[in-house]
Amino acid sequence: MPECPPERSVALSLVELILEPIRALGRVGSHSGRHAGGIGTLAWRSLVATLTGHVAVRDVLAQLHSIGVQSIPLVMVTAVLSGIVTSQQGGYQFTSAIPLYVLGSIVTSSIVLELGPVLTAVVVIGRVGARITAEIGTMQVSEQIDALYSLGRDPVPVLAAPRIIAGTLAMPALVGVANAVGVAAGMVAAQISVGLGHESFLYGARLYWHSYDLFYSMMKALAFGFLVPLIAVHRGLLTRGGAEGVGRATTASVVFMIVAVLVSDAIFPPLFLN
Amino acid sequence: MIEYLDVHKAFDAPVLSGVDLRIETGEIMAVIGPSGTGKSVLLKTTIGLIWPDRGDVLVDGESVRDASPRQLQEIRRKAGYVFQYAALFDSMTVYENVAYGIQDDVARGLGARETMRRVSEALDDVNLSTRQVLSKLPSELSGGMRKRVGLARAVVGRPRILLYDEPVTGLDPVNSAAIDQLITAIARKTRVTSVVVTHDVEGVLRYCDHVALLESGRLRFVGSPAAFRASADLMVRAFYDREAAATAAMELNEPAAIGGR
Repeated sequence: MPECPPERSVALSLVELILEPIRALGRVGSHSGRHAGGIGTLAWRSLVATLTGHVAVRDVLAQLHSIGVQSIPLVMVTAVLSGIVTSQQGGYQFTSAIPLYVLGSIVTSSIVLELGPVLTAVVVIGRVGARITAEIGTMQVSEQIDALYSLGRDPVPVLAAPRIIAGTLAMPALVGVANAVGVAAGMVAAQISVGLGHESFLYGARLYWHSYDLFYSMMKALAFGFLVPLIAVHRGLLTRGGAEGVGRATTASVVFMIVAVLVSDAIFPPLFLN
Repeated sequence: MIEYLDVHKAFDAPVLSGVDLRIETGEIMAVIGPSGTGKSVLLKTTIGLIWPDRGDVLVDGESVRDASPRQLQEIRRKAGYVFQYAALFDSMTVYENVAYGIQDDVARGLGARETMRRVSEALDDVNLSTRQVLSKLPSELSGGMRKRVGLARAVVGRPRILLYDEPVTGLDPVNSAAIDQLITAIARKTRVTSVVVTHDVEGVLRYCDHVALLESGRLRFVGSPAAFRASADLMVRAFYDREAAATAAMELNEPAAIGGR
């Protein structure tokens, strides 16, 4: 094969060097576009299945128990710890700087606006999201999804919609629990660590309280509750290649769910707090 | 009746390359061939579990390719599919798994007693004792029992076609023979059209009406078991004659051996 002249070969390498990142970007874009399209289609089909009454109430209740009720203990533990940490760090930062009762407002706002929804979502991702992907991924690689199709059933109303509905309904309730428990734990921790009495804590909390904060918290919870099972189911249905494939799909799903929750969390303030 | 019309399918490489095959009503067609040659893919195209890139499949004259989602569901309801590893739903008991095959009848008002009767009947058809297995989970069953439950789930809806994907793979000779007998008994009793994808050529040649040999995505042979045994084609003979298989294997290994030198 004839060889390129050296100057031409350098020029070609330079072109390749410039083109490669563009190609890589293109690949990432097309991959993300396909996933976004798939997730959008799954969401739409789940909505249609729900509105046309194709989703069994029994399936939704079973998922509500699994996603909601069974997550309560872990959500409470996380909320207690986040309440204690927020209160102690706030106390450490504000002692002798500003009136201590402001700590009540800081703990309440931090928990209700941010920590309650986000930490609850992270707990649900770890406890439920990963399990949903592994469960549906295993069904996919063991041909159980094909078996559903072969029996004339569509996996969307049977598997996807009940989980998405249950997630969307359960998450606000879980966040409500996390908010209440987190604030209570913060109040107790404030008393113990900086000697701030309950009345002063509640006075500070009420002083800067907006009812809209609770609405904002619930909006986040609804968004996260919808996104987490949606992504988990979607990744599960894409699983290929045996046990290793299930492992890969579960890891990818957890990463994707965390990123999606954090990105949507970042979108909320400019949209709803201005 | 099932007709495969010029079916093409490729994943990374071509898997099916223009398969034309016609299976008459009530007939048992065995589809055999080397591993990875597209047998299971062909079976899955029958009810739209895999979509052909080109060509079509007709089930009782209805096109699978042009079917709307609702029509496709109707075509699937006509069929029972027995999966290689049974594909039983892990979280359901044997009763729930088999009853899942008649979900539509249950939704239309089939009572609990009638559902139980239909499930028991299907389990009887596959020689499983209802009392023994009904409340068990798939994980508590042996491989042979799982296959039987998978078969019961496929037949409980009284399908007009039955598709078997490697029904005896992983089973001992006794259980394999038992499954073969069940396939024959069900086909003869219900006049169901059956397609059996298998590597157990000796077993399937005893009961099938026709046999199709798929090689590299193309049909190499279609005919009766007697014509299959009489064929002079080395690849055909390799499937029932150990010496011919050894010769075919040497031909297959030759390029690798040369490349390895």
